[in-house]
Amino acid sequence: MDYESILEKQFENVLEGENFSGISEETARLSEGLSDPFTLENILQATLEQKSLFQSSSMIESLKELFLYEMKSAVILMAEILCICIILGLLRSLSDGFGSKSVSQLSLLVCTMVIIGISLNSFRIAYGLAIDTVSTMVWTMEILMPVLIGILIATGSVAGGTILSPLILGAVTAFGFLVKTCILPALYLSAVLSLINCLTEKNYVNKLAKLLRNGAVFLTGLILTILTGVITIQGLLTEASDGVLMSAAKYSISTFIPIVGGFTSDTVELFLRCMGSIRNMVGVFGLLSLLLMMAVPLLKILIVGGIYKLTGALMEPVSEGKTADGLSDMGNAMISIASVLFFTCLLFILFVTTIMNLGGAP
Amino acid sequence: MTEIYTWISNVFLVILSLSFFQILIPQSSMEKYLKFIFSLVILAVILEPLVHLMQGME
Repeated sequence: MDYESILEKQFENVLEGENFSGISEETARLSEGLSDPFTLENILQATLEQKSLFQSSSMIESLKELFLYEMKSAVILMAEILCICIILGLLRSLSDGFGSKSVSQLSLLVCTMVIIGISLNSFRIAYGLAIDTVSTMVWTMEILMPVLIGILIATGSVAGGTILSPLILGAVTAFGFLVKTCILPALYLSAVLSLINCLTEKNYVNKLAKLLRNGAVFLTGLILTILTGVITIQGLLTEASDGVLMSAAKYSISTFIPIVGGFTSDTVELFLRCMGSIRNMVGVFGLLSLLLMMAVPLLKILIVGGIYKLTGALMEPVSEGKTADGLSDMGNAMISIASVLFFTCLLFILFVTTIMNLGGAP
Repeated sequence: MTEIYTWISNVFLVILSLSFFQILIPQSSMEKYLKFIFSLVILAVILEPLVHLMQGME
């Protein structure tokens, strides 16, 4: 029995009945087909045949296509908003010509409301995308983690598996819940408030919007720091205790079993190493899925956010400052949503890599 | 969650209607005071969840 066949057998046994094809499908849905080459089977093949997993040219090609497509729809949005802004500027300069001031002011208000409607609509789409992505990432982690922890225990890190399993699953669920019910809605509300603020001459809710946004970003950073610290320290501690356990087991097998002891110990080590490479493969699959799941929605939200900032900058000369400020704040809220998404993905990737690093050397 | 959304929509509606009123009121010496009263109303609407929170605490 050679290395490859052991690996494939163990691979099939471990991954039997797990919902990995579901993860692949979800990743393909969110990343719009970018994730097609990264199935578990391909990763296994790449490991066995020692070839590269990435076909960079096709990936760059499809990324470019996606980018151009999103850019096109965002530029159309920008053109719509800019047209209304130009009308708005024209109305203001013509307002002296109208008899009463209130008519022109009323028309300005209506124009601003149209801008608010358009931008809120696109913001809602981006917000829904972010919520969807975070849910899918949490779901992926909930499938991936039990498998990874099982493999981790099979490689001999008993302490690591038993301690980290509830810790990481709890952290993933709690963080996902918090992001979905507190942080992203707070950013949404902050964007709505900063748009409401464009309607009035005076600043009524500008500071409130900023407070909500800064609070959400601060909360994300705080939770991220705490969770990362706890998981890393716990990982280091369990790794030390498991290392002792593993070498004691190997030593006792090779010493206390007469004649075949050394041979058995080597076989055990071979199996453990195969298990370790399976763990790495599943981990790599998880990392790639998480990354691709995040990448495309992140790209979309960032493009729309950037376009809002650009629109805010472009309309400053033609319109009054308030509308430009509101749109630019909207862009800020979108970029904050993108950063929350990024940090969520970063946290999950950190969890997976912590598990992959545990018990690395049997 | 629904309370927060109602709160935000209340703020939105009040600011919207008051800015309409501000346009429609005739220009007079009372305009300044009216604007001040409007901003007090907006403040009250923004502070509304705080009142609920205080009631819940007792």
